[in-house]
Amino acid sequence: MAIAVKLDDLLHDRRMTLTELAERVGITIVNLSILKTGKARAIRFSTLEAICAALACQPGDILEFLPGPAGAES
Amino acid sequence: MTRHYSAALPIAYVLLRILILINWLAGVAILALLVLTPNEQWILSAFKIAPSADASRLVMGLRAVAVLGLCTIPINYLILKRLLAMVETVRAGDPFVAANASRLQTIAWALLALQLFGLVIALIGNAVSTPAHPVDLHTSFSVNGWLAVLLTFVLARVFAEGAQMRDELEGTV
Repeated sequence: MAIAVKLDDLLHDRRMTLTELAERVGITIVNLSILKTGKARAIRFSTLEAICAALACQPGDILEFLPGPAGAES
Repeated sequence: MTRHYSAALPIAYVLLRILILINWLAGVAILALLVLTPNEQWILSAFKIAPSADASRLVMGLRAVAVLGLCTIPINYLILKRLLAMVETVRAGDPFVAANASRLQTIAWALLALQLFGLVIALIGNAVSTPAHPVDLHTSFSVNGWLAVLLTFVLARVFAEGAQMRDELEGTV
């Protein structure tokens, strides 16, 4: 996938578990896990905003664009 | 709204099952009519019609209509069976799936086929009808039937789009 989700690194840096983040953000751990493993097809601005607020970071800290063939799946 | 659905769905389910049974019974009745009616003479005497060229044509026409009627039985079954499957998906709480779009598409083609059968039957009725032996098969042209075909094709497309949108939404976090 061209967009990588770096939620794992951020959680590690903040010493926070996925369960804690799920509680703070207010979305289910299942959905958060889908996002973390890069299986999500889209992310709502509201989710991004809540994660940024909970982790005190910028959207760019969570998502990263990896140049490669358009539409390529990892 | 929820209460309305909860009553409508079991009724639709039972009604569709009854209609499937009635459809098969109608098929058996038509088949029996075709197989068991011994000969033209018997039919003519049953209808108290004097033998003539017109009367022969009438019997042939009625037999053709019966054969066409028999052909519509599996088409009706196809429609009812798919409607039943759709009702089951609504009961399961998951109606916006690609399978339902495909079912509606099949139903639309089947409805179109039934309309065409209706046209052919009307044509046969007109062809064999004479002033001495008028045939009224109650198959006058109905705009509603054709509208139902169009509506079902449109609905199938709407369902396909809806299923795709739901699919995309499922992957949204």
